[in-house]
Amino acid sequence: MEGKSYQRFPKVKIREMKDDYLKFELRETDASMANALRRVMIAEVPTIAIDLVEIEVNSSVLNDEFIAHRLGLVPLTSERAMSMRFSRDCDACDGDGQCEFCSVEFHLRAKCHSDQTLDVTSKDLYSSDHTVVPVDFSDSAGYDSSENRGIIIVKLRRGQELRLRAIARKGIGKDHAKWSPAATVTFMYEPDIRINEELMDTLTFEEKRNWVDSSPTKVFDIDPNTHQVVVVDPEAYTYDEEVIKKADAMGKHGLVDITAKEDSFIFTVESTGAIKASQLLLNAIEVLKQKLDAVRLSDDTVEADDQFGELGAHMRGG
Amino acid sequence: MGVQRESVAGFPGHNLPLNNGTQIPNSPVKGLAIDKQVLAAPIKSAVEKYQLLPEFLKVRGLVKQHLDSFNYFVNTEIKKIVRANNRIESSLDPSIYLRFKDIRIGEPSVTLDGVSENLNPHTCRLSDMTYAAPIKVDVEYIEGSHGQKTRAQKENVVIGRMPIMLRSCCCVLYGKDEAELARLGECPLDPGGYFIIKGTEKVILIQEQLSKNRIIIDMDKKGNINASVTSSSETIKSKTTIQMEKGKLYLILSQFSTKVPIMVVMKAMGMESDQEVVQMVGRDPRYSALLMPSIEECGKDIHTKEQALDYLESKLKRSMYPPSAHAPNASSEKAGRVMTILKDVFLANVRVHQNNFRPKCIYVGVMLRRIMDAILNKDAIDDKDYVGNKRLELSGQLISLLFEDLFKTMITDVKRTVDSILAKPSRSSRFDFAQWIVRDNITNGLERALSTGNWDVKRFKMNKKGVTQVLGRLSFIGTLGHMTRINPQFEKSRKVSGPRALQPSQWGMLCPCDTPEGEACGLVKNLALMTHVTTDEEEEPLISLFYCLGVEDLELLSGEELHAPNSFLVIFNGHILGKHRRPQRFATAIRMLRRAGKIGEFVSVFLNEKQRCVYIASDGGRVCRPLVIADKGISRIKEHHMKELLDGVRTFDDFLREGLIEYLDVNEENNALIALYEADATPETTHIEIEPFTILGVCAGLIPYPHHNQSPRNTYQCAMGKQAMGNIAYNQLSRMDTLLYLLVYPQKPLLTTRTIELVGYDKLGAGQNATVAVMSYSGYDIEDAIVMNKASLDRGFGRCIVMKRLSAIIQKYENNTQDRIARPNRAGNDAGRMQVLDDDGIAAPGEIIRPNDIYINKQTPRVTRGTMVTGLTDSDFKFAPQTFKGPIGESSVVDKVALFTDKNNNMCIKYLIRHTRRPEVGDKFSSRHGQKGVCGTIVQQEDFPFSERGICPDLIMNPHGFPSRMTVGKMIELLGGKAGVSCGRFHYGSAFGEPSGHADTVEAISHTLVEKGFSYNGKDFIYSGITGCPLQAYIFMGPIYYQKLKHMVLDKMHARGSGPRVMLTRQPTEGRARNGGLRVGEMERDCLIAYGASMLIFERLMISSDPFEVQVCRACGLLGYYNHKLKTGICSSCKNGDNISTMKLPYACKLLIQELQSMNIVPRLKLAEA
Repeated sequence: MEGKSYQRFPKVKIREMKDDYLKFELRETDASMANALRRVMIAEVPTIAIDLVEIEVNSSVLNDEFIAHRLGLVPLTSERAMSMRFSRDCDACDGDGQCEFCSVEFHLRAKCHSDQTLDVTSKDLYSSDHTVVPVDFSDSAGYDSSENRGIIIVKLRRGQELRLRAIARKGIGKDHAKWSPAATVTFMYEPDIRINEELMDTLTFEEKRNWVDSSPTKVFDIDPNTHQVVVVDPEAYTYDEEVIKKADAMGKHGLVDITAKEDSFIFTVESTGAIKASQLLLNAIEVLKQKLDAVRLSDDTVEADDQFGELGAHMRGG
Repeated sequence: MGVQRESVAGFPGHNLPLNNGTQIPNSPVKGLAIDKQVLAAPIKSAVEKYQLLPEFLKVRGLVKQHLDSFNYFVNTEIKKIVRANNRIESSLDPSIYLRFKDIRIGEPSVTLDGVSENLNPHTCRLSDMTYAAPIKVDVEYIEGSHGQKTRAQKENVVIGRMPIMLRSCCCVLYGKDEAELARLGECPLDPGGYFIIKGTEKVILIQEQLSKNRIIIDMDKKGNINASVTSSSETIKSKTTIQMEKGKLYLILSQFSTKVPIMVVMKAMGMESDQEVVQMVGRDPRYSALLMPSIEECGKDIHTKEQALDYLESKLKRSMYPPSAHAPNASSEKAGRVMTILKDVFLANVRVHQNNFRPKCIYVGVMLRRIMDAILNKDAIDDKDYVGNKRLELSGQLISLLFEDLFKTMITDVKRTVDSILAKPSRSSRFDFAQWIVRDNITNGLERALSTGNWDVKRFKMNKKGVTQVLGRLSFIGTLGHMTRINPQFEKSRKVSGPRALQPSQWGMLCPCDTPEGEACGLVKNLALMTHVTTDEEEEPLISLFYCLGVEDLELLSGEELHAPNSFLVIFNGHILGKHRRPQRFATAIRMLRRAGKIGEFVSVFLNEKQRCVYIASDGGRVCRPLVIADKGISRIKEHHMKELLDGVRTFDDFLREGLIEYLDVNEENNALIALYEADATPETTHIEIEPFTILGVCAGLIPYPHHNQSPRNTYQCAMGKQAMGNIAYNQLSRMDTLLYLLVYPQKPLLTTRTIELVGYDKLGAGQNATVAVMSYSGYDIEDAIVMNKASLDRGFGRCIVMKRLSAIIQKYENNTQDRIARPNRAGNDAGRMQVLDDDGIAAPGEIIRPNDIYINKQTPRVTRGTMVTGLTDSDFKFAPQTFKGPIGESSVVDKVALFTDKNNNMCIKYLIRHTRRPEVGDKFSSRHGQKGVCGTIVQQEDFPFSERGICPDLIMNPHGFPSRMTVGKMIELLGGKAGVSCGRFHYGSAFGEPSGHADTVEAISHTLVEKGFSYNGKDFIYSGITGCPLQAYIFMGPIYYQKLKHMVLDKMHARGSGPRVMLTRQPTEGRARNGGLRVGEMERDCLIAYGASMLIFERLMISSDPFEVQVCRACGLLGYYNHKLKTGICSSCKNGDNISTMKLPYACKLLIQELQSMNIVPRLKLAEA
């Protein structure tokens, strides 16, 4: 056991990258690694979100807690979050959570003076720190910036007013989903599709067409020239085994062989906008590293040995 | 004869339409034309007819039966009541009188300090008032003084206040549109049909009872055949039973002490000839044979009318009529009494004009005939549970009973006061009859009955309890369900299954699903969606019409002719009108007239071939429903009709008026052949259903695909839908209910039904669409528990608002003092508890309130009785603050504070306390398929399974919930919901909707799923969130509409260490509300005994309950006492302290010993060393 290294060198290949969307391949590692990355992205990458609301005036139809809950869920740009302090460990304010190192203050003042309903949106939140502001979606595709006014918080009719002060703090998704920077983080095993060409050739064009159509997603197609079945998009395969069942039903067992590649994953990451999707991945790796460091740092102590036993020894060796 | 001629004279008006043949839609010429048109028309699908339903509900509303009934009372019935008792005469001087000329109900208003102010319902709700309108009468009366009488008139004299049903024709909301309703603070989706009494909303439940004035044949426990009639006339209610016992026929009437032979009664009514009786029953030799023993029994010594009357007189109950002293001839008086009973009590529904008992005799003849039919053929026995034999009593009828009684009491009261005034020898003031009308009786009587639900009508010895209920406002559906509920008349404890079973005749009238579980199961029912309950209709014009249509009058027929084999009896509302030789033609004629709108649309004709009778009914309380008329199996509704309907040119009433649709009641349905769909119609078909899903009620209508579920599951959902939290009404935030449960983010179900859209559940939903994965996870999901995603809860899933009302009164006392509210002391001991108070001493809205906080800093005067006091100082008041008792450790918010004056002129303060809760372990949730479950655990999102598309479920449900429950509908809901979200269209799952397109088929849904890249079977390939590995099985995952039920852990959890005790026994109190202990009961104790845990029993039953130290005298065995001066125990019977031992005893035991002693029993304790 001792001395043998299990170390692997995973490779990442980025396929598509937008501000709030990232698709990449993660190869030469196993499910535990991929899943750890996913879990950290969802739950442990810190962001900033509104945590405390002091309401001065609220004559809207929604009650105070309702508005506070809605404000909490507004994503705030959180590039600063990694360098910020958790207000519970902040020395500057004695855990009060109101100092500049651990908090950002917001103000909202809205009153409806017209007969038309006034939409109070995230744009009406004024931040004390220009780096921490509500996420602006106007530049992303599909939105017309002129009509898009941010995330709606409450609607006011004539005479109604909302005035409040809010404190945003750093936190992680484990504590509350409002601190989670990830809208979607998911991965799939890359499928390995092998068509038995010999057997496939025994099929008529009509049978091929039927077989291809049996897949709910467009994985296969027929080459219009050669009339050969080709794999057009292996990643569209959802492991539904419809094609295998269809082949069996046609009496062509083993027409296609589909296995999941155990060591390569295709990740899809969508961010809430709090941080860029690419940054989310980097932050996640950083957080993961810190967590491993926390384990490693305590390796000298006896209790760590007791705690981790063989694992601790393994880590020291590796 | 006279009657006959009169009715002919009254006829011509009705005769006109008959002669005008073109008016009748079914005339042969027109019928042909329709056929051609049909052949040319394109083939129609049944879908189009659905559009009638929203139209129907627009016209009739969901609680139209209540409104119709109340409107009928207010517009017609009340006038009839007053007309029948319109004169108050002084018994001293009959020329002094008061006559009611007219009566009407005014606008809802309240008179405060002499000023009348108009009311609207919402202010009544908020300020605990009764929503009532003045009852105004026009009177003509005698006034005068010193023997001079003048006749005077007065209009709009108020005799009392009538509580007004919301949305009835007297209500301010009547005919208002949405914007006007909003201005009045009213929810446009609220159905109305209830009353507001002292600020609480009260519903008069629909009361179910057996038909009045109808012959019901049944068999009693001994196997005797009974024919009974419950007669009800304006003056009296009676029950007449004719029984066949041991081959002889008897009459049972409560006025007679024993059964009396029916033949004697017949003789007493003047039918002295036995032959005539036999003829009246029918000349079939089998009938004569059955009648023989009765004739023989009577024939021995009773032959004449006088003999019969004497015999009956001897059977009279003694106490009934004490012989009056001034009667000169006792025997003729007695005979008169029997005659009166026969005239007024016996078969009271058959009137006797000028001592002509013939109609009564014929009625008895028909009863006897039916009994004999039943003996010869058991099928002829009536089914009491048959819906056609039932009548539903609605609010209007119930109030009219009460009003009539109160009105009569008022008249007698007025008469008594007037008499007493007139009896005074010297009257100084001018006599004015009108001023003695008292109004409080009627007002208070109506208000009391409606608020307590106790219906006491002295005249009929009626004493019903629980007629009204507080309208349940826990959910919108609960409110609607409450309005359609039908209360049974008989007691619930009886162990008969018959009335509880589902009756085939309930089809389309009463909901087959919606009934409670437990003791009221099957007895309490609910109306179906399209049911209408009839109101009374004028009888006289109809009767004369029937005579003109060829009914031969009873009076002109001999007994022989009556039952002639070629003719049918005609029975109208329980009265035998006569016979008809061509019954089929007669029935068709009446139906044509009804379709042409010449007679009321709710008149029903039922040709009973078996009984050879034509039953016509126009009475109130029958259930009926609309159906499309078909000629030879071809629907009368054509495409162009529906197009006109869609264009808004045509309304539901037009369909009715033009004879395309008609209402059928349960009896008439027996003469119809109703096709479910147009395609199923055969040439014999007479009617076509509008939509099959209308057989369900409002509550069952919410369930998607209910026809795929096991039937009890639908019943469970009907009960649970009423407990679901969501939106209650558009005005929910301006209401001040005692308890209000709201959901923070309620949603419209992804899988809807047509009923949901019709009743407005899509606007006031009570649940959320949760993505559900059907799989096992973590072991915290056994026994129907569900696993919830913490991130979903963070984002607002299942979050709810609970509002509770608190109230305080500033009482005024008899000595002119009153409570006061003090300014809070910001520095004293209680400053912390007074944080929520404003400077005025009342809690301020928006403040966070914790348990034990003071919400009103009230002080009461120390002296509240005795003489008038003024100038009180601070020392005359003692503090009486009211503190908030909420869940410990939780903080609530004061939502709203309302101040108003109650009717005793005290200031009242209502507080609404709001508490927002997120789901926690133990909260109850349910889908719409009777699948309830508690939250078993809450799991982090990263641990939750996910699909490669990134879909992560909101909750996980254990698959073991499916096999035994067989809720296939839930699985289809999941599939349909998944297809719905992926293609962006709400899918439908109406009951029985697949053939008509009101429910998407599984095939279509699967097709959509495949199109959107899902598996056709709704299963997904899922990865474990914990390991990242794929799960071994495909997981059935998709959205299901979940309801959060009102049962929450926070309201139920309870534990106690030490705490309050009951004074009498010194044992811990019971129940959560009193912070009580958890009882080790008899069975638990038995377990401990069996286990041998004696010390545990000792601890639980004494140490932690009611230990008490007693002094016991070893000599006499009695309890002594402890003398604190001498510091020894002393036995009071031995008068010394020599043999005293100290021991511990449960206090309850000491109490028992003392109680026994007080009963002269000496319990002695014998002590031994242990």
